[in-house]
Amino acid sequence: MPSLKDIKTQINSVGSTKKITSAMKMVAASKLRRSQEKAEAARPYSSRLEEMLSSLASSAASGEGIIKLLTGTGNDQNYIVVPVSADRGLCGGFNSSINRETFKLVKSLESNGKKVQLMPVGKKSRDFFNRVMKDQIIESFVDLNVSSTGYESALNISNKLQELYFEGKFDKCILVFNKFKSAISQEVTQQQLIPLDVSNSEKKEEKENSSNAIYDYEPDEETILKDLLPKNVSIQIFKVLLESDAGEQGARMAAMDNATRNAGEMIDSLTLKYNRTRQAFITKELIEIISGAESI
Amino acid sequence: MATISFDLVSPENLVFNDEVGTIIVPGKDGDLGILPGHSKVMSSLRPGRVMVYSEDKNLIKSFFVSGGFAEINPEKCIVLAESVVEVNSLEKTSIEKEIQELENKEGKESEEQLSVAKAKLEAINVNYYDKI
Repeated sequence: MPSLKDIKTQINSVGSTKKITSAMKMVAASKLRRSQEKAEAARPYSSRLEEMLSSLASSAASGEGIIKLLTGTGNDQNYIVVPVSADRGLCGGFNSSINRETFKLVKSLESNGKKVQLMPVGKKSRDFFNRVMKDQIIESFVDLNVSSTGYESALNISNKLQELYFEGKFDKCILVFNKFKSAISQEVTQQQLIPLDVSNSEKKEEKENSSNAIYDYEPDEETILKDLLPKNVSIQIFKVLLESDAGEQGARMAAMDNATRNAGEMIDSLTLKYNRTRQAFITKELIEIISGAESI
Repeated sequence: MATISFDLVSPENLVFNDEVGTIIVPGKDGDLGILPGHSKVMSSLRPGRVMVYSEDKNLIKSFFVSGGFAEINPEKCIVLAESVVEVNSLEKTSIEKEIQELENKEGKESEEQLSVAKAKLEAINVNYYDKI
């Protein structure tokens, strides 16, 4: 049986863990609010851009150069998968679900005879894929800190991707990220980034509604499209980074809330054990005294 | 007199959103003056000044954008810009320094940055469009 002192130490240590987790929860909650605001602020731009793009997309049937971002290379052989995780842990299943999903995706693509390369974003997925499929990683991005550096960080990733794309290194690019659903739930989502997926039914409807809108283009449709497409890639990445950031804070908040509650329960049960042990100790001493007195 | 609704959007936030009288945007092939009832136009932008005027033609605000797009229809004008700064908050000395540094560098990227920086400097120095 553990001594009283052992239990006391254990209670103290659980108590300080509880303090840390509850502080982390508070921090995550306030960061979550900020991340959410950022994600919301970025929304008008990306939705506007999408609208513009969908009204232009029909004008480009096929073409060389930048238009390829829309039409694809015509091949379906080389894939690049971009898992977006967090840089830090202690946020529940946030990172591991991204890694698991990506791993599954890579394996299923490979079993169909595709060649897959990886470009992890965030320390947690970089470390994971460094262990399991190191030779498939072509580049990784860590310490992005999207909530403070903003758009620049997305631009770096997008430039690298487009550089590789136009060198013919891959035909399709798929993002795997945590979509922010609410403060307590995230959904692992796959999104095809290149070539652009404009077959969204929702957008098509919109397009039909605005079909009477015939625009003049300046300089011309193709030039605008050529400007618009690379920007769209960057902005999609930016949006994903912001969503993932908000999701991370949400996941951390939930995980820390759980940990705090668990620590509380543990302290309760340890305190009970402490009191019982102390009582047993007192009883034992009393018995010894009484039986000592009787024998005299 | 009529007004036109004007949105200036950057990737990070909505910079400006109000009913205004006139807007001048730096289109790729030349500046566009936009009044209420303008025909439908979609244009890409070069680095330059976006000027916003009230109904009685007073300059409300002028922004520097490093490129982007404008979508114009009779009721609304939307400018999507990659980076937006108010012209008043630009600092001449730091831009001149930036230009000097960039001039010594080679490569496509720094060339682009240089043209943006030069356009910034021009935006500070010129004062046409201040009164229309």
